[in-house]
Amino acid sequence: MTKISTKGFLFNVERCIGCHACEVACKNENKTAPGVQWRRVTEGENGTYHSISCNHCSSPECFRVCPENAYIKRRDGIVLIDSNRCAGCNTCVQACPYHAPQFDLHQNRTTKCNYCIDRQREGLPPACVVACPSGALVNIDLKHLPLESTVPTVPGFPDIRITKPSIRFFPQKGKKRYWLKEEKSESTKNTDL
Amino acid sequence: MRNHKIVHNVCPRNCYETCSILSHVENDKLVKVEGNILHGYTRGRLCAKGYALTEYVYHPERLKYPIKQFPRGSGNWQRISWEEALGFIAEKIIELHDRYGSSLACGYNKYSGNIGVLHQATEGMFRGLGPHTIAQGDVCLAAGNDALIYNREKVPFKDPEDMAKAKGIVLWGVNPARTATHQWFFINKARDQGAKLLVIDPLYTPTAAQGDIFLQIKPGTDGMLAMATLKILLEKGKLDEGYIKEHFIGWETFKSYLLEEVELSEASKITGVPLEGIKELAALYESKNCATWVGFGLQRYSNGGQTVRVIDALVTLTGNYGEIGGGIYYNNSSGIFPINLKKFPRPPEQEKTKERIVDINHFASEVLALKDPPLKLLWIAGRNPLTQDQDIDKWHQLFRQLELIVTVDMFMNEIAAQSDFVLPAATFFEDYDLNYSYWHHWIGINQPAIPPYYEAKSDLEIARLLTKELNKRRPGFSSFPAERTALDWIEGEFTPEVLARLGIKNWRELLQSPRKLIPPSEKSDHQIHLFSQKAKEGQLPALARFTPPLSNPSYPLRLLTPQSLSRIHSQYSNLSWLDFGETSEEVEMNPQDAQARNLEEKDTVLIFNEGGTCERKVRLNKYLPEGVVLASQGGQDPINKLFTGLKADMGILTGGMPGGAYYDVWVEVKKND
Ligand code: SF4
Ligand code: SF4
Ligand code: SF4
Repeated sequence: MTKISTKGFLFNVERCIGCHACEVACKNENKTAPGVQWRRVTEGENGTYHSISCNHCSSPECFRVCPENAYIKRRDGIVLIDSNRCAGCNTCVQACPYHAPQFDLHQNRTTKCNYCIDRQREGLPPACVVACPSGALVNIDLKHLPLESTVPTVPGFPDIRITKPSIRFFPQKGKKRYWLKEEKSESTKNTDL
Repeated sequence: MRNHKIVHNVCPRNCYETCSILSHVENDKLVKVEGNILHGYTRGRLCAKGYALTEYVYHPERLKYPIKQFPRGSGNWQRISWEEALGFIAEKIIELHDRYGSSLACGYNKYSGNIGVLHQATEGMFRGLGPHTIAQGDVCLAAGNDALIYNREKVPFKDPEDMAKAKGIVLWGVNPARTATHQWFFINKARDQGAKLLVIDPLYTPTAAQGDIFLQIKPGTDGMLAMATLKILLEKGKLDEGYIKEHFIGWETFKSYLLEEVELSEASKITGVPLEGIKELAALYESKNCATWVGFGLQRYSNGGQTVRVIDALVTLTGNYGEIGGGIYYNNSSGIFPINLKKFPRPPEQEKTKERIVDINHFASEVLALKDPPLKLLWIAGRNPLTQDQDIDKWHQLFRQLELIVTVDMFMNEIAAQSDFVLPAATFFEDYDLNYSYWHHWIGINQPAIPPYYEAKSDLEIARLLTKELNKRRPGFSSFPAERTALDWIEGEFTPEVLARLGIKNWRELLQSPRKLIPPSEKSDHQIHLFSQKAKEGQLPALARFTPPLSNPSYPLRLLTPQSLSRIHSQYSNLSWLDFGETSEEVEMNPQDAQARNLEEKDTVLIFNEGGTCERKVRLNKYLPEGVVLASQGGQDPINKLFTGLKADMGILTGGMPGGAYYDVWVEVKKND
């Protein structure tokens, strides 16, 4: 029996170096088909990156829209798809704001991040989290997270209002940048976020 | 799981990290890799490239059998047996020896495809032939190494794990977000305890984006930034002159140079860094225990060695050496193993004449000039010079004089396609090796996880087999000890000193887990040479001071070719798991530079200079300095075509040859209509 919890991720945009280790570690662990990426690293503004997988949402759209009832939401918060029930209609693929469900062309069905459920059983953290060298990506139970120190979203992250994703972020701070001083222009220092 | 086992491997790529890998094997198949938690530097993690290794090992394009091509370059390949291939090569070697009276007509060009100790077997195999032709030199980091030797008489041995204890961190021209991701654990540990992170780079790299402070600098002017920082500190009275006078040779000269020749507003103009930014850097060095990590890129200039000398002067004059976390981090090639593969005893007649040495940075042009005898047989291993060398055109000239080209590789890359024989190389999962890092201090033994892929063989196995073929045809021809196995060679590397520094009695203990070297005991009272007699004797400036970078009146744009995330030089370019959209088909340009040439995003352009022309698509990058364009290495139309005759100021002391000034390349870009 799984315990009631809200399994999810805590992400620190400021610490993510965009190294893609999380993304490839997921492939190494879960042997997803070519082109299927349960976790993806994308480039944001000002040299920042996001690493996004399924967010095991509180109001999973995938679950709501699937005509085959292939999705389940477990008591521990994990959202799973039973790919055997998937008819390949791509409704969930379009409904999820985070592109988490991925259509596997070769098998004609959709798969997605399962929070490394087999590793969970062995008490191991998700493969992507283990791989992260900078501490940017952490797995958490949102029920035990001190919400004051974190924020629900960051610039560039897809709209969270529809699905209430189980991911929280560290707030970003300002940084000092001294851009090259060209002889013609005098503009130099600025602070970006 | 049936037949599941976990085997210890070590990643042998030319990379800072040399990760310890736990390989999951089922029924002789590699099914998964993971990091090894017992390795104190890599701490149970791999990088993206590491996690893609199962795709690499079973890549459909991997070569399975020895193959022969006739005519060369025709694509008309034929599978042959190892015996046939090595027999043919052996006969050629013997015939050339008879023709020229030595094996000088035989040579190799081998570099860093696999930097495990046993991969020096190729060098050993040739050593067994008696005097032959060797590609020597250091493509990567020799200028910086020499610089540190001029300043300190040796390259400091720093433990990168200690960076966690620094009070401030300066990442100077290094991009660990792409080249050394495990270091972030230690960098972030220091940051969590309050250390500021300052990044200096001409490019706004992902590492620069991490910096609490980022100073963007004009390429090749880092030495001036260091001088200006010192001047600020000197004028503020922040340098401990009493201490300096005792420990630094040439302080008075250096000081008057600083006071008289370095002008802050001029320095700001030269470097492009506003005075306020230089002051930020000075503030970091003012507080003690500041770590400075100097990358390899900034010494790939004609003034690269000088640049490192000045940065080191800044580090040492501010008292930042000797402490645990602070000081200069550059590279830690411990040189602790004897590398017997390159030293085994030879019969006296093989020692009568010397090897013939060719500069690896200018290999093709130098070989073309060789006579008595000309080079006739070339062996390529661990290298793809047709994408990575300078003077690629010269390679095509060189092919014409070569009677036999043999390439050992996993894949049919550009150089393999121009060879007569291609021998399939084993990956490091398929044989033993001994691995040390040029960065962290952990030593590991790589063990065979899976049987060799089809007929693939390691460099050592090939050396042993070819030697046998030679000696079968002519007894005693090669002195390479072909009877020695991989484990024999490994055992031989563990001298009493190595064992003591590892704190073990028997090297076999390493089969269970990697271990860390105990640092050598260092004298802390050695002197720093701001004025180096040795440098003067080497026709270099005696004083550590800024020397201006080169410029080129004919071609206005400086071309930089830094490391990408998904590849190690030419390796891994064919892995789908590592397709992050990085491509060798683009050139990045600043929008102003593009506009001045009437260019827009995605335009097809020609990049050219006196060396050649490459076609690329424009990608605009607003963070690029004006006058700098960016391209990545490798590919069908390699950017290295534009590289010719580039030499760094230093490198002879440690590399035997000057380093390559790979960033002193100037080009022009125009629309390709
Ligand atoms: S992220 Fe997408 S796939 Fe995952 S639970 Fe939310 S809606 Fe469903
Ligand atoms: S939790 Fe597991 S399945 Fe989900 S993205 Fe991470 S590694 Fe992939
Ligand atoms: S492994 Fe960590 S640092 Fe690297 S891209 Fe993923 S989240 Fe970012």
